[in-house]
Amino acid sequence: MANSATLIETQALVKRYGDKLAVNNVSLEVQAGEVFGFLGPNGAGKTTTIKMIVGLLQPSSGTIRVAGYDVQAQPLQAKAASGYVPDTPNLYAKLSGRELLRFVGDLYSLDRQRMAQRSEELLRVLDLNEAADQTIDSYSHGMQQKASLAAALMHDPKVLVLDEPTVGLDPKSARLIKDILRQMAERGAAVFLSTHILEIAERMCDRIGIINNGELVAVGTMNELRALGKAGETSLEDIFLGLTGGAEEAEISEILR
Amino acid sequence: MNELSATPAARLLPSIWKLIRLRLLLNWNSFKHAKTGRKILTIVLVILALAFTGFIFFLSWWLLGFLQSSKLTQYAGFDVTPFLQSVPVLIFALLFLGILFSSFGVLLQALYLSGDMDFLLSSPVPIRAVFVTKLLQAVLPNFGLAALFGLPVLYGLGISGKYNILYFPLVLLVMVALTLAAAGLSALLVMLVSRIFPPRRVAEVLGFLTGTISILCSQSGNLYNTMGRNVTISGSQVNGAFALLMRFNTPWNPLNWAGQGLVDLGGGRWLAGLLLVALTVGLSALAFGFALVTAEHWYYSGWARMQVVATRKKTAHTHTRPAQSVPGIADTAGAQTRRLLSAPVMAILQKDFLLYRRDMRNLSQLVTPLIFGVFYTVMFLRPGNPIFPDSPDMPAIFSSIGRLIATYGNIGMSLFVGWMMLGRLAGMAFSAEGRNYWMLKAAPLRTTHLLIAKFLVAYLPTLTLGMLFMVAVSILQKASPAMFLYGLLATALCLAGMNGILLAFGAAGANFNWSDPRRMNAGAIGCLGQAITALFLPITFGFFIGPLLLAAVFQWPQIYGYLAGGVAGTIVGAAGAIVPPWLVRKRVERLNEN
Repeated sequence: MANSATLIETQALVKRYGDKLAVNNVSLEVQAGEVFGFLGPNGAGKTTTIKMIVGLLQPSSGTIRVAGYDVQAQPLQAKAASGYVPDTPNLYAKLSGRELLRFVGDLYSLDRQRMAQRSEELLRVLDLNEAADQTIDSYSHGMQQKASLAAALMHDPKVLVLDEPTVGLDPKSARLIKDILRQMAERGAAVFLSTHILEIAERMCDRIGIINNGELVAVGTMNELRALGKAGETSLEDIFLGLTGGAEEAEISEILR
Repeated sequence: MNELSATPAARLLPSIWKLIRLRLLLNWNSFKHAKTGRKILTIVLVILALAFTGFIFFLSWWLLGFLQSSKLTQYAGFDVTPFLQSVPVLIFALLFLGILFSSFGVLLQALYLSGDMDFLLSSPVPIRAVFVTKLLQAVLPNFGLAALFGLPVLYGLGISGKYNILYFPLVLLVMVALTLAAAGLSALLVMLVSRIFPPRRVAEVLGFLTGTISILCSQSGNLYNTMGRNVTISGSQVNGAFALLMRFNTPWNPLNWAGQGLVDLGGGRWLAGLLLVALTVGLSALAFGFALVTAEHWYYSGWARMQVVATRKKTAHTHTRPAQSVPGIADTAGAQTRRLLSAPVMAILQKDFLLYRRDMRNLSQLVTPLIFGVFYTVMFLRPGNPIFPDSPDMPAIFSSIGRLIATYGNIGMSLFVGWMMLGRLAGMAFSAEGRNYWMLKAAPLRTTHLLIAKFLVAYLPTLTLGMLFMVAVSILQKASPAMFLYGLLATALCLAGMNGILLAFGAAGANFNWSDPRRMNAGAIGCLGQAITALFLPITFGFFIGPLLLAAVFQWPQIYGYLAGGVAGTIVGAAGAIVPPWLVRKRVERLNEN
């Protein structure tokens, strides 16, 4: 890890939708230079937590600090320090890739020259150069995902939050994104990513948080998680299933038999 | 025998039924889960449609019976029987062509844009069943509409003409056969077009054309009158139309065979009738079968999904610029303007203008106010159409009030067109972001900047149109410079006030969950905004011209009228522009969080 400043900090984070408790008392920290994996079954509260961190959702209670700024009290500063890649790359379909990046650059009030340089750099690195002047509706899912990442990286954020960044990507693009995230962390950024692919979490993340039914049931390095699990649970898959309940497994094998 | 082990031919009908049942279930579910008001509206519409069918049937029966009476022939001096016999010919030809073209858009949606084709084709149902169901799904609404208008007339003709009993079921059979043939050919047309152009782009262009043609058709009568012509139909014109209709009824046109055959059958000319009807049904079945087999083949082989001509990608810029000299998206408006407006505001402005221009589905929504604008401009500005005619006998005071009303009444009309445009541009300013709204929300963007940007996106084009209208009115009416400037002020402020109100209501009722811009709406809150601005407009405009009228009535110096009206109108207009957006700013911060 490059340094140990806390770049993401949530304290007793709660989100209620009417009677439903989507996120319950989640407290976690992500340090600078750290890749933090956020795991959980479908509907566990991962996306809700992420949306609260990047300022898309107001928490019912609790606090979030991003790069030292309170997301509720200082939303502009917090947002200026973070980049976000959503699970579905909903981008302006009728803008070209290049236009999208410049639009984002303007939203973040980047300097003209830096914006031009950065957008060309990102287009080249993410292999979008050829398609940079085509409108996004002609992009494949993978290209849209990469365009979304490029938009999140335009202002060189200190905090990068990604919701399922590798879904629908070919191995080459997935590898590229993993390399970029690792480099970001090495340069001192905090990377917070949710994923269903446990292999990615196990290989890429310095620490992992597991959320189930809105509650953070475990946080730690792989070794710390192994210590939490039962004897013989050495893989992340075993630990994950042990913590989030494996009753469905038995049911599935019953159905498939 | 297991259903899956049966031959594809044996599985065809049960599979079609399964897929149709799925469609019926989807429709039933959407009705069942609709709001009570919508359910009641649907039921009322069905009852009205049935009542309308009955009405058309009895009207046709009576009218066609009347036209066939010998007394009318004696009195009018000409026999209408040949014309009446052309009616089925005309109806069937229109039915075929109507279904052929109207199914195009529905089939484009069903085959390329609905997104369920891969799911259906990967399921264990014959591919033919999928295509037949898609064709039926596309054609049934249009067929229903055609039957609603055509069947009562055809049956009315049969009853009044005392046609043979065989005529009645055959009318239905021929109608179904022609409909299926037209739908099949339409499917091929869709695939051919989609081989050349991207289906989504075709749908956008189609939406734009449909919108434009609909509005033009709805306004054609008014436009005709506007051009100074009165619609009167003479006897010779009627005879000419009859002659043209009968000339269309030639035996060499296959579209005429269905109608002619049915008339022959109804009139007891069995051989000719059966031959023509059999030819029609046979050719229709052949056309349908050919279209079905070809469409399946084109689709399954991938031919219809591989574009050949559209290798020219949608390119926003054709040249690559050196990195150092590339301007930002907000750059083109110039550094001067950027001193006044922040980079995010300019970026949103330019982004929105680009998207409006590039997505024809947006343009199709703006076409209504634009056509209305052109139409009313022509109406008011054409020579010889004084709203308030001057007369030498008229006292000077009335004359000057009249001129005021004429000048400012025209501005009122431009404001009305502006109101319609703002309903779309300002009322939907936030909804227009759709699922991309997260990009603005996740960015370090001040709420005030977002509101200013959205305000300007709606205001600038509307103001430009309003100003152009003002300039044209002022030149044609030789308005004084003072009147012209005052008109500009009134237009700018009235539009600004309406813009603020509509923007606020649009933000409050914003809907981000849509995939087609034509489906976005701000719901009841948006409608309330429209209603309130419909009141706000005359009030603000009244504040502007009221003092001028008072000054004219009481013969005060005109400058007092300008000053009082200018101050009062500016206060009301500016209040409309500023207060409502300010009131909803907190709500804007929390938009799209449910």
